Amino acid sequence: MTGSLDFLLLLSVVGVPLAALLAPSVVGRWLLVLLYVVQLVELALLGSGDGARSAVSFSLLGHSVGWQLDALGWFFAMITVAAAGFSAAYAAGEWGTLNARAGLSLRWLYVGLQVNVFAMLVLLAAGDMVALFIGWELTSWAGLLLMLLAGGEAIAAARRYIVYAIAGGMMVLGGLLMTLAAAGSLQFDAVAAAIPTVGTSALWAITLLFVLGFSVKMATMPFHLWQAPAYAFSPAPASAFLGAISARMGLFAIALVAIKLIGIVQLDRLYLYFDALNLRNLLAWVAVFTAILPTFVAMKQNDARLLLGWHGVGQGGYMLLGLVMADSLGSAGGLLHVFNHATYQAILLMAVFAVIHRTGTADLNRLGGLVARMPLSFLAMLIGIIGLAGLPPMNGFVSKWMIYRALILEGQPLLFVATVISTLGTVLSVYKLLHNTFLGQLRLEHETVKEAPWSMTIPMLVLCVVVFVTGVAPGLVLEYVAAAQQALGLAPVAFILGGIDSPAGTLDMIWVTAILLAGFGIGAVLFYLMGGRSRRVHQLDNYAGGHFLTADVRYQYSDNFYAGLMHRIRPWYRGSFAWAEEALVSTFGAIATAARGFFEQANPAHWVLVGTTLITTWVMWHALV
Amino acid sequence: MTDTEQFPVRVEQPDRNGGNIFSRVFDELTAFCRSRSLFILHYCTGCGAIELPPAMTSRFDMERLGISPMVSPRQADILLITGYVSVKTLKRVMLTYEQMGSPKYVIGICSCTVNGGMYWQSYATAKKLNDYMPVDLYIAGCMPRPEAVITGLRQLMDKIAAGEANGWEDYYRRYDYYLGHQQRLFGETWQTPTDVIAEARHYGLFGPETLGDHTRLLEQHQAPLEALEMQLGLGAPDEVKA
Amino acid sequence: MHWSELAIELTLMPLVAFVVGLAMVLMMRKIAARLQRRVGPPLLQPLYDIVKLYGKRTQTSHGMLHEIGIVMAVGGYVAAETLLPVPGMNGIAEKGGMITLLYLTMIPSLGLALGVGQCANPNGSIGISRALTAMLAYDIPLVIVIAGVAIHFGTTNLVDVIAQQQAGGIATWGAVQMPLLAIAGLFALQGMLGKQPFEIYVAPAEIATGPMVEMGGKFLGGLFVMQCFQLYTASVLYVTLFLGGGENWIAFLAKAFAVLVIPMSIAFLFPRYRTEDMITMLWKWPVVLGLIGLAFVGS
Repeated sequence: MTGSLDFLLLLSVVGVPLAALLAPSVVGRWLLVLLYVVQLVELALLGSGDGARSAVSFSLLGHSVGWQLDALGWFFAMITVAAAGFSAAYAAGEWGTLNARAGLSLRWLYVGLQVNVFAMLVLLAAGDMVALFIGWELTSWAGLLLMLLAGGEAIAAARRYIVYAIAGGMMVLGGLLMTLAAAGSLQFDAVAAAIPTVGTSALWAITLLFVLGFSVKMATMPFHLWQAPAYAFSPAPASAFLGAISARMGLFAIALVAIKLIGIVQLDRLYLYFDALNLRNLLAWVAVFTAILPTFVAMKQNDARLLLGWHGVGQGGYMLLGLVMADSLGSAGGLLHVFNHATYQAILLMAVFAVIHRTGTADLNRLGGLVARMPLSFLAMLIGIIGLAGLPPMNGFVSKWMIYRALILEGQPLLFVATVISTLGTVLSVYKLLHNTFLGQLRLEHETVKEAPWSMTIPMLVLCVVVFVTGVAPGLVLEYVAAAQQALGLAPVAFILGGIDSPAGTLDMIWVTAILLAGFGIGAVLFYLMGGRSRRVHQLDNYAGGHFLTADVRYQYSDNFYAGLMHRIRPWYRGSFAWAEEALVSTFGAIATAARGFFEQANPAHWVLVGTTLITTWVMWHALV
Repeated sequence: MTDTEQFPVRVEQPDRNGGNIFSRVFDELTAFCRSRSLFILHYCTGCGAIELPPAMTSRFDMERLGISPMVSPRQADILLITGYVSVKTLKRVMLTYEQMGSPKYVIGICSCTVNGGMYWQSYATAKKLNDYMPVDLYIAGCMPRPEAVITGLRQLMDKIAAGEANGWEDYYRRYDYYLGHQQRLFGETWQTPTDVIAEARHYGLFGPETLGDHTRLLEQHQAPLEALEMQLGLGAPDEVKA
Repeated sequence: MHWSELAIELTLMPLVAFVVGLAMVLMMRKIAARLQRRVGPPLLQPLYDIVKLYGKRTQTSHGMLHEIGIVMAVGGYVAAETLLPVPGMNGIAEKGGMITLLYLTMIPSLGLALGVGQCANPNGSIGISRALTAMLAYDIPLVIVIAGVAIHFGTTNLVDVIAQQQAGGIATWGAVQMPLLAIAGLFALQGMLGKQPFEIYVAPAEIATGPMVEMGGKFLGGLFVMQCFQLYTASVLYVTLFLGGGENWIAFLAKAFAVLVIPMSIAFLFPRYRTEDMITMLWKWPVVLGLIGLAFVGS
């Protein structure tokens, strides 16, 4: 039995009214989770091949528009639907009940989720550039639905997002028109065939317009300002879904246009400064800075959601970097990182929202010691941060390792060093997240906190298993990554079940994990079987230089956690990008004020003067030229 | 001060000849290592502390005996009280002593720890340190020279190797006695963050005088000291069930 | 390779690391003593300390994570040692390589950080925040060095790196071929070992030994064991990258101990930098040296 793309899209469309109908009741919400399972099964039945073409097609201004899901789109689509399913399950039980009581519209939440999934499927299955554009706009606007739900801070963030999204959409439209002008067609094959004949300046324009337009969704620098607040302040399941996959639609589109249609060879053709810096290197450096700067911005956040949001921006840099390396290892690493990031980012956001659900705050200075009260959420966050920091044996390590290896093999030591700086920054930042939330002193007011309900912990824990299993056996995912690479026209990666087998350096995670667990076993034997028995003591039985600790006085270090580091690097980034954005806004404001002033001052005589001047100029111009 | 209430000293010696040959060899080995590795926490209360740097540094070099300074009570084996102990200080000394891991040893340096020394008439000074905690060794003098300190430490090492430095067990077995003296000085509401009774129970160090009138007084006002155990508590909170 | 051979190697490698590490700890304390004109501890002092700490009758734990942290700290290093080739034994070095080793050695630190966090002592948390900052500071020269070495030898496989250096003799040693990177590596080594002047995260007089503040008994004993592994790993990694690994055990041990003499001699002559000055120091000179060295490697 094979699936059909039409059925999948139909399921997805039908899901929207169903969501509106079913979302208010608990049973209904679980039925909606079932709907995601059905969609996922349907996708799995489609298989990671090129065969699935939609019967729906129409003609627009002489261009036929159709949908076809290739291996790349399938890879992203699987992640999308699964992320939506997990998010829906997370909200199905107690979370939904309590938040609905607090005034959240679950109807809109589930409708928004389903609309997003549909829009993304439309984008991912695009069979030509018009379909791509339609999908792109749908995705951009669908995201807004989820961001607007929470109100408050989210509204301002969403407003910012939509300005960026419209600007990005305009750039994509411009790129589309230029492609049409250059290639005469908007079918993928025709465009790919025509690109090598396009002149350098036109190719520059096309590539830049597309890449910049798509980068807005990716939130690569310098468009990185909107994303963290927009995703962070959405309701929990929306935030988990958006954080896991939404921004990756930009990566998909960049991969499709820049790698598949335009091609790496063409990117290398575009020199910025003789042959020292071509567009591909430029993209790589943009990606690296996107990986570094937001990471260090994340480190100084005091809101757990914002911290994760900024990391989401930063991790996008790794994916883009891996992709533009475009060798078999690097691009596989970049694509694998999409999957890995989706899994652990969803875990982390879910864990943070579980803490919010129980304690009512995500302020890292108002939490602490919750491991004693929410151990499962702690476990989930621990596995999530090991993944995010890219340490073995979780899956984040594998994709980052592939990117590092690719950078070293390609002779890019500076990029490699820069990437590792970002990773180290991530380690620091995630420890702060874990420490300030779950470790340290338990506050008096949190003594009676309970663990999050099963409906919330099970999605997290299942994802933890995914993170661990795909970390130990990355070959499970690399199979589909290799197929996606082929769909992009890149050399597929040589993988084994445990990782990568290449002559210049092997990674076998099965061995690494086995030896690590064996090491832990020995460590446990040494600790628990040797030496005296230990006895657990109260947290106030603690060294304080002879001081008697009491529960009403806080004995916790959380604020300005990396004081020494921040003291050194804070002067280096004084929010220059935020400043640039504000400058842009005020420039427009000034122009608008001036224009309004002119309009208010104006009387018909002025208009006559302006009109006649313009007409005269036009006539003279034509007469002279 | 305490001579009106003479407590008979009954230090119970655990059976040191029990077990098989291996465990005896093992115990001997552990005792030897204990005697050769002593981390000291110096509670520098008075003037005696000034004699410790020479004892540690190049002239006398305590490290060749395996003795090195440590910082926090958790890490230390020896609590070195180096001078007069005011009532306020003694509270901190008690807190610190109870936080140390056993086996732990207390050394009183200078005459002030023995009998109050030149502060005999002070209203604010605790005179006899061993009323409040078991002291393994006094090094008298005002102040004792580094040679004396080293000699004292060597004596302690010999006692440890012979398994005789068991003052710490006495603290658990006769906690009521020591607590009584502490309560007399600090008042009835005196409490340290360390749950000595629970510790004695956990490690089987209970003696006939661990509990008594003074511990009953303590239990009346003691704030809970149980460790925060991990709780799953997955049931829905009440507001959901409603 | 037969599985029993591999099993023996996997058992022996951490054991050797521990024993050699004990000797290294002794050497460190002896060097400190000699520089301060003292006699220093007796031969088996590191062992006495560990046995005594494990043999403490009462052990204070702050909860399950405090215990698991120590398990991870020791266990992570036990695992990491099998990725580090020694004469005659490669373990599973070919399945990982130097990047995996670099990241695997972060696991013990993460474990320690978890354990310290559970202690609910701000001194410990400050210590960890400084230790992680130190890691960020010294890892940048370290990855520059690793990138340079990997590009120079064309592989990240430590077994190949050793084989290439031993085949070509001293002239092909990393230290001869890449002297600037070797010097930058020494800076990173100093930071990795957490010795003065980069010792701000321990700072006994200020934050009461930071991460170790609530560690007593076998918790501290575990950290002493970890220190043995840490010294061994850092020095053997340096020997592998720059000094041709070990042709035989005598040469290997001679090199490993000799490498450690440098940071240890420096350590006890200096006070410590503040955190921000440590960052400045480690991001300035070793990074500049490393980048120049990298440029030579690339060309």
